[in-house]
Amino acid sequence: MGAALRPATTTPAAWAGAVLLLALVAACSPGTAGTAGSGTGDASPRAGGTLRLAVEKEPECLDPHQSPTESARLLTRPIVDSLVYQDPQGKFHPWLAREWKVSADKLTYTFRLREGVTFTDGQRFDAAAVVANLDHVVDPKTKSLLAGSLLAAYRSSKALDPLTAEVTLKRPDSGFLAALAQPNLGIESPITLKGPASKLCAVVVGTGPFKSETGFTSQKGIDYVRNPAYAWAPEGTKSGPVPLDRIEVTVVPDNSARLGALTSGQVDAVTGLAPASVGTLKSTPGFTLHTTRFPGANYSYWPNTEKGPLSDVNVRRALRAGVDWRQIVKNVYFGVYDGAQGPLSASTPGFDGSLAPAYGHDPAEANRLLDQAGWTGRDAAGYRTKDGKRLTLRHMWSDPSVSNLAVQIQAAAKRLGVEIVEENLDGGTFVNRLLAGDYELIDTSFSAPGPDVLRVLFSAENIPTPERGISNNMARYDDPRTEDALKRALDAASQSEQFGVYAEVQRRITEDAAVLPIYSPLSVVAARDGVRDVRFNVDGSPDLSGVWLAS
Amino acid sequence: MAGVLRMREAAAPGRSGTARGALVRLVLVRLAASFAVLWGAVTATFVLLQVMPGSTADVLLARSSVTPAIRARLVAEYGLDDPLPVQYLTYLGRIARGEFGESYVLRRPVWDEIAAQLPDTLLLVATTLLVTVVVSVLAGLLSVNRRAWVRSLFAAAESLVVALPPFWLGLLLLTVFSFTLHWFPAIGSSSPAGLVLPTVALAAGPAAVVAGVLREGLLRAMEEPFVVTARARGIGEAALRLRHVLRHALLPVTTLLGWIAGSLIGGAVIIEIVFSRQGIGRLALSAVANKDMPVVVAVVLVTAVAFVLLTITVDILTWVIDPRTRDAGR
Repeated sequence: MGAALRPATTTPAAWAGAVLLLALVAACSPGTAGTAGSGTGDASPRAGGTLRLAVEKEPECLDPHQSPTESARLLTRPIVDSLVYQDPQGKFHPWLAREWKVSADKLTYTFRLREGVTFTDGQRFDAAAVVANLDHVVDPKTKSLLAGSLLAAYRSSKALDPLTAEVTLKRPDSGFLAALAQPNLGIESPITLKGPASKLCAVVVGTGPFKSETGFTSQKGIDYVRNPAYAWAPEGTKSGPVPLDRIEVTVVPDNSARLGALTSGQVDAVTGLAPASVGTLKSTPGFTLHTTRFPGANYSYWPNTEKGPLSDVNVRRALRAGVDWRQIVKNVYFGVYDGAQGPLSASTPGFDGSLAPAYGHDPAEANRLLDQAGWTGRDAAGYRTKDGKRLTLRHMWSDPSVSNLAVQIQAAAKRLGVEIVEENLDGGTFVNRLLAGDYELIDTSFSAPGPDVLRVLFSAENIPTPERGISNNMARYDDPRTEDALKRALDAASQSEQFGVYAEVQRRITEDAAVLPIYSPLSVVAARDGVRDVRFNVDGSPDLSGVWLAS
Repeated sequence: MAGVLRMREAAAPGRSGTARGALVRLVLVRLAASFAVLWGAVTATFVLLQVMPGSTADVLLARSSVTPAIRARLVAEYGLDDPLPVQYLTYLGRIARGEFGESYVLRRPVWDEIAAQLPDTLLLVATTLLVTVVVSVLAGLLSVNRRAWVRSLFAAAESLVVALPPFWLGLLLLTVFSFTLHWFPAIGSSSPAGLVLPTVALAAGPAAVVAGVLREGLLRAMEEPFVVTARARGIGEAALRLRHVLRHALLPVTTLLGWIAGSLIGGAVIIEIVFSRQGIGRLALSAVANKDMPVVVAVVLVTAVAFVLLTITVDILTWVIDPRTRDAGR
């Protein structure tokens, strides 16, 4: 999602960058999204019709148990249901599980399952299916790229009776329900799980409102038809029959081609439009923009807090205060993106809005902090120096779509006397330098449906190293008090307690300037006016199950 | 036509048997050489992927953080920790046995993926070649032997077309003929109508180049003494150009077309992306970025085999077009 203004991805380096970014954006667990209005207002949904949707990205493998990508979540949500439903505000509701109990030690979850649910291949949904699914995700043979994060605390599960499943954890995990609510732990037909994993990469069978017997074809797309038996929409959502007969999803990687296909009536809706195209559509009659801010971490610059000039907290604070991030975002993205107000996007459940003032523009303070940090000299080019060494920060990236933004930030930093060197790298070199900690700044966003993303991004356990491999604490932030808070968050008995602890984490991160947040990426569905009730899931992806066509 | 031309004489009935034997030998020698080419391509691919920065495991797992157990399993299963010579020999052995395995990233058998993407690629290459040949021959024949300024006009137009970036031309065609005039679909590669714009975008450059080469060839052939002889026998201008001059000029063009066809198989990435078409090019691009060795190797092999087949075809065509080469085959 850092990919604003992403042009046709035309070079291998660009591709690698996009892939890596996608990867970083993809992992993690749940929380909330604000839902944008979808201009309905009128009448009850009209049944029938085919929604033609063009999407920008495709999963390498459709199976959400194996693939962590955002696009796998989007494309399988119509097919698979989950045990619990998490609404965009972060609250949990019954879905395939009618109710659940958590033991006092927070290690055992007991789920009472809904009766009479069938998979679209005719199999019955029961407790054995739940066990088979969770075991499938953690089975090393599945090579799930997700099990490590989503089910890290999972020990085992068993069927107590046909409609009661019990899950045991190794340690308390306050994020467990949120993980279960994601399509990545969605329930697939157990028979298909026994088949070859490669088949699951194309055809996924679930209990959802839609089914796709032909499945996903890479570089092409996927077609769904309505599941006529569907009568178990999550509680708290608009229930009733699913309006659409069919959905045809086509992968259209080029932004201009997507925009043109929409405006010329070749598709009904598109996702992932670049900000410039969003601006164009705003002034085009006949089309509606449905947007929500992606929950999770904002698109940010991640300072290397471990070594180099940015290991000094004053230099990090100076950079945060000295660059007018919001103005730059406004200029570069045509006012489409909102400037960041903290480490998390404002739509994330558990977001602490009280920290916003700390992210204001204050160049005088910035210069004072830099002087205090000892960067008092000036060289011939006007950059600050200390002991004769220039204050130089290497910004490492591999996604060319952000270069406009990077250039503006570079210019703003120069006014402070800070030199930012832009290093556009191929994917492999990028990874090597990331693991070695050989950089001062990295940029990326990280969408995730809840504040648990803070652990992924700031726990010392997630600092990327050659031994550990890629991990997402790119700030290489290692603070014992934050670490302690992150542990307490896992132990939290309630969501409000959990949010309280995460508010503390956000405060620490802000004090330490461990991240330089820039803007909140937008999840965009642009559609012709006849497409109604476009809503968004808790992870910011569009929810296709309630969409209907007024014309 | 009679026996005016040398090419006609060379194909005289009495010598056709030996000539056919030469053709068979030509094909056999070519086939033997092709194995060397394929081995070279496969080895070069292996070396290049090893030289690329970043360990394969790291790049593969860049999509998310996994447990050490999963990482170890992936490394063991793909043999990423074996010494390089062992990896290379295992790799050669597998290819020799025709085992291409499963894509590291797509998690499907490589050949399934190739089989899914290849038909669209081949179709596009075929239509592109056809258009290239028709357009360039027409342009060549029309422009040759006209006044100098007409030829310059053609040459200028060709240079302009060659200079157009294909993605820009693709987007321009989309904007005009799909988004504005609604003549052709912008997405969906399966229908014949969906082939038109990508074919035009892809054929424009090659057609311009080939037309230029062909015109030069035609101009040179027009200076040959046999043209005077043919004219003296009262042949019409059109027949002269089509039957005699064109045949001479086609030789360099055939070689050029073989090369163009080969490069289009994996090289149409940008057009595939702009027109949202399935194809080998996009497959190759993402595979290289992800260090997805099994897929890269399969794509390289498919392309190499295509080049080999095309080279053989070009040789046969040359043999048919120009009898002089038949003697050289012996």
